[in-house]
Amino acid sequence: MSDVRTTPTSDRGFFDEGQYPGIFAWLLSTDHKRIGLLYFWCIIAFFCVGATLGLLLRLELFAPGETIMSAQTYNATFTLHGVIMIFLFIIPGIPAAFGNLIMPIQIGARDVAFPKLNLFSWYLYITGAILAVTSLFTGGGPPDTGWTFYVPFSAQTSTNVSLAAVAVFILGFSSILTGLNFVTTIHRLRTEGMTWMRIPLFTWSLYATAWIQILATPVIGITVALLFAERVIGTGLFDPAQGGDPIMFQHLFWIYSHPAVYIMILPGMGVVSDIIPVFSRKPCFGYKAIVVSSLAIAFAGSLVWAHHMYTSGMSDMAVLVFSFLTFIVAIPSAIKVFNWLATLYEGSILLDPPLLYALSFILLFTIGGLTGLVLGAAAADVHVHDTYFVVGHFHFVMFGGTGMAFFAAMHYWLPKIYGRMYDKTIATVAWAIMVIGFLILYISMKIVGMQGMPRRYYDYVPEFTSLNQLATVGSWILAVGLVLMFANIFRGIFKGDPVGDNPWGGASLEWQIPSPPPMENFGEEDPVVTHGPYDFTKAGIL
Amino acid sequence: MNTQPLITTTEAVDKAFYIIFGISGVALLGITVAMVYLVWRYNRKRYPVPLSQKDHNVWLEITWTVIPSILVMVMFWYGWEGYLSLRRIPDNAIPVQGTARMWSWLFTYENGKTSDKLYVPVGQPVNVRLNSEDVLHSFYVPAFRVKRDCVPGMETYAWFVAEEPGSYDLFCAEYCGVAHADMITTVEAIPAAEFAGWLAEKPSATAAGKGLLQKHGCLGCHSLDGSPMVGPSFQGIGGRQVTVVANGESRTLVSDRDYLEKAILDPGVEIVEGFPAAMPPYAGKIPEEDMTGILDYLVSLTGDGSSVEEATEDEAEEANKPEEEGLAEEPTAPADAEEPASPAERGEALAAKNGCLGCHSVDGSKRVGPTLKGFWGSERIVTRDGQETTLVADDGYLIKALREPSAEVLQGYPPAMPPYPGLSDEEIQDLRSWLETLK
Repeated sequence: MSDVRTTPTSDRGFFDEGQYPGIFAWLLSTDHKRIGLLYFWCIIAFFCVGATLGLLLRLELFAPGETIMSAQTYNATFTLHGVIMIFLFIIPGIPAAFGNLIMPIQIGARDVAFPKLNLFSWYLYITGAILAVTSLFTGGGPPDTGWTFYVPFSAQTSTNVSLAAVAVFILGFSSILTGLNFVTTIHRLRTEGMTWMRIPLFTWSLYATAWIQILATPVIGITVALLFAERVIGTGLFDPAQGGDPIMFQHLFWIYSHPAVYIMILPGMGVVSDIIPVFSRKPCFGYKAIVVSSLAIAFAGSLVWAHHMYTSGMSDMAVLVFSFLTFIVAIPSAIKVFNWLATLYEGSILLDPPLLYALSFILLFTIGGLTGLVLGAAAADVHVHDTYFVVGHFHFVMFGGTGMAFFAAMHYWLPKIYGRMYDKTIATVAWAIMVIGFLILYISMKIVGMQGMPRRYYDYVPEFTSLNQLATVGSWILAVGLVLMFANIFRGIFKGDPVGDNPWGGASLEWQIPSPPPMENFGEEDPVVTHGPYDFTKAGIL
Repeated sequence: MNTQPLITTTEAVDKAFYIIFGISGVALLGITVAMVYLVWRYNRKRYPVPLSQKDHNVWLEITWTVIPSILVMVMFWYGWEGYLSLRRIPDNAIPVQGTARMWSWLFTYENGKTSDKLYVPVGQPVNVRLNSEDVLHSFYVPAFRVKRDCVPGMETYAWFVAEEPGSYDLFCAEYCGVAHADMITTVEAIPAAEFAGWLAEKPSATAAGKGLLQKHGCLGCHSLDGSPMVGPSFQGIGGRQVTVVANGESRTLVSDRDYLEKAILDPGVEIVEGFPAAMPPYAGKIPEEDMTGILDYLVSLTGDGSSVEEATEDEAEEANKPEEEGLAEEPTAPADAEEPASPAERGEALAAKNGCLGCHSVDGSKRVGPTLKGFWGSERIVTRDGQETTLVADDGYLIKALREPSAEVLQGYPPAMPPYPGLSDEEIQDLRSWLETLK
């Protein structure tokens, strides 16, 4: 990037340039970096809560029968684990935190298109989160429906599902507004020379994601609103005794919640597509193919929702169509994996922590994706649907995929935001512990699922005991790795050695400005872009 | 005729698994080896500067688009083919009705026999027609690779064939509330001859009688549960006092076998008071043996417990099964269905039929809900509108607890009980009589 002029006003960049005093510098800030950090810390906090609940679930499953909690507590716990991890961690995770922090800088903008709306989105997120937490302690007790809220059970249970539905409704608006903001920003605020084919792949992935957020999220709003009406005024839309249909609820739910899977994974793919070129010192192989495959996933991924419903009682024709489309959507994901590997070929590879996390994303996402093919095939799905195989599968994709990408993004971009470096050796050790624990935990789940253990069981038949115990031990190893990783990175960003502008040798715009970035990212003049995001030769890295 | 050898559901599903796991295994190995090799081969220590800046290769990209496309289509096809096998019911499949409810299973066989375990003959396909009485459930037998949701208001099905005798786990796979994990039973595959014996054993008089009533269209005008229709209900018709009008004079008589026979064959002679003279005569329309069956059945309908006849027979036949057979051991065994049941016995049968015992024990042990032993008349703490209140488990409480259980939730228990609005006042009285016996 040739003509970038930056004059840092202080060593602490935007941290010293709050518009308001004290806490209001954060709570009233419309700066995309401050809002990004607000999201980041909330998301980390919810991740820790969700992970703790997950560990408790695993502890309950250490032995058959009631181990540490009753059936009702277990049901509330897995519901809460699901709701927190999905609506408060994975969906906002990368787009709202790292998207806000990095995307405007990557396209040479000083902020997002609608900074006030951006802050409002965060307030919606927090309101939704507070309501979700409130639903635990009010009404008929914590919701016990699972995050899928399937009727008729969710319409009948006396637990506080109505408030949880309101929380999801509000969180949906937060997601829609962020999507709108990002699409507008990417269309309107690219700096001079930032052509569509020079946009970094991370920003491209956010662009594809934002469209899904805008188009699919209203459907979950409608769905939970109808559920609320069903519970409160008895509309009977899902009650067969009143001419309704419980299967229709599942269609509505998955019309959002399957595309939501791509809201979760696409930004992770974007992170990996940005990291691998930098640590290989090679342009991302098949840049255009990756862009096209992101858009293809966003489009085709909106048409496969009913593959969650092969056993629901829907018609065989629907099973045929949705199974076929599901396999189609597998192809762009496979293409991305091959492109990432080809980027490594003939490169100059440095195994720093961001790359390690990105590579583990590829491995774990591939395992998750391949087991997704098992679930996409109609016959095989009938056996493993609603078993621990599915639980293992989506943890590979969501945690092994999006979670690892989130951690990769932390190790890659937090030094830029805070201007300080963590201990790379500890980061590597923590990574190795996590991957080992992860594989033990979730491979055990897949095997016990193949053997037929249904999900959402707090108790199980004795033949499933040993694999459940192995999984629980895996969860402890994973937890050790997580604690070590978080401790190291947080110690690093507050107390580590200062890093320069470009610690990794990146060629995209965010590496051309100081760390931490100044208030409006760039100096008085907007940057002018003269080459692609992975052109290390022109960027002077090589 | 289906002349092709039968493909079992297990074979159909496993074929898809082998193909997908085979292809996936090779792909995963290839990707992992390639990744590790590339990272080792092109390490920065070895190559401080990259060997190239290649960023595309059209033919390579076409290749790795086309090959995966073909492979996924292969996987799709085998998945679909296996699925079709699951959906195509063999001609000789035995139909069984499978009813799911919170939180137990009830299987009804062709002759009306019921059980809570699914008994099937070895080597013969069985088609389970599924429905649900309340929320979504899912019928899942891992050994046979079959799963199908049980949806209220809709019939679904799953067929399978057990090739080896044995006991196979049957799970509920769709989350259905607090006792979801306890909604487990078994498929008992027994040799065909043994199965036939089991099925024939203690044929259910009630179901046979009901079948006959259905066959001859009686139930179009006469209910079994006491509700008035065009004609009087059959509930308690055996031996009850009826007032009839004959030739303009009304008189009261006992509804015995002779009266019933006359009333069916030539109904216009004596009309039950308050009902129109609408019934057609059945003389010559009902074969002799059917007539005997109908009369046997109607005479057995004594008392006023509404659906007692169904309930007691379900349980009675199980209870009367010889123990040495070692087949189903029903936890509850009320008295012989043929005997007029006492209110307490009817209550017990109702509890079994409605699945109460899935969550409430009668022996003092704690399950999802409180034990019923010593429950009646005891002092309890409940939460009502968020306030804790102490009350006595009496009539008023029982009615509320059954019809609107979430209004008052017992302290220490989850608000998990579904409402039972369908229970009549008489049925609740029967349940009460039974509860009183559980000291």
